[in-house]
Amino acid sequence: MGDFLRLKNRLLAKMSTAIPFVGKILTALYHPSERKGEVPWTVVVKRLRECSVSIVTTAGVHRKDQTPFDMKDPNGDPSLRIIDGVASVGELMITHDYYDHRDADKDINIVFPIERLREFAEDGIIKAVADIHFSYMGHIVGPHIRTLTDVTAPEAARRLKSEGVDIALLTPG
Amino acid sequence: MKPPRTVYLRWPFGHPLGEPFNVPQQQAVLIEAFKNLYSIDVPGTIVDLPFKWRREVYDRYHADELRAL
Repeated sequence: MGDFLRLKNRLLAKMSTAIPFVGKILTALYHPSERKGEVPWTVVVKRLRECSVSIVTTAGVHRKDQTPFDMKDPNGDPSLRIIDGVASVGELMITHDYYDHRDADKDINIVFPIERLREFAEDGIIKAVADIHFSYMGHIVGPHIRTLTDVTAPEAARRLKSEGVDIALLTPG
Repeated sequence: MKPPRTVYLRWPFGHPLGEPFNVPQQQAVLIEAFKNLYSIDVPGTIVDLPFKWRREVYDRYHADELRAL
């Protein structure tokens, strides 16, 4: 049953990318979980050249030597993967059945633009690429939403703060 | 999720920065993201980027314009 569900999810993901109309229908059917409260806001006080930048992605990126996200749980996997800032793109991979990542498998920068940020840092556009980056897989529903909002998302926020990261760049899958 | 600042692209799923190995395109998205980090002053603002996927001239976007931020 688990393998059949994975096959179905992968097929829907490919159709959503190849046929925009299908993607629109699936998007319209999806009701994201909304939390009450105001939009979080921090005023930017530093110049861009003084800022370190960390990527926070929901594209299912992880190091090849890390445990892949669990694709057999229909509610998704709310756990977090921390990726060190010096990881080469060859050391990274994607585990995520809910979007078509064949192009991202060829060049992971289209969901996790680590090499573009390194170029910006080398040119002095930003101060540095942060030492750590954060990755989730963006299909988290049912009981796992609570784990994400109460445990693994706050963990990334705490680490961003303790590491002194100035800018978090969020990328979807 | 309530991101404080968002740049949005009407591109295929799984391609938030564009096409594989299209460095100018990927850079252009980041340039616009950083510019909007400084220009957006209302929490929750979503800016629709006008990029036309493959029909855009991305070479005209230069990271040097970010030096003023």
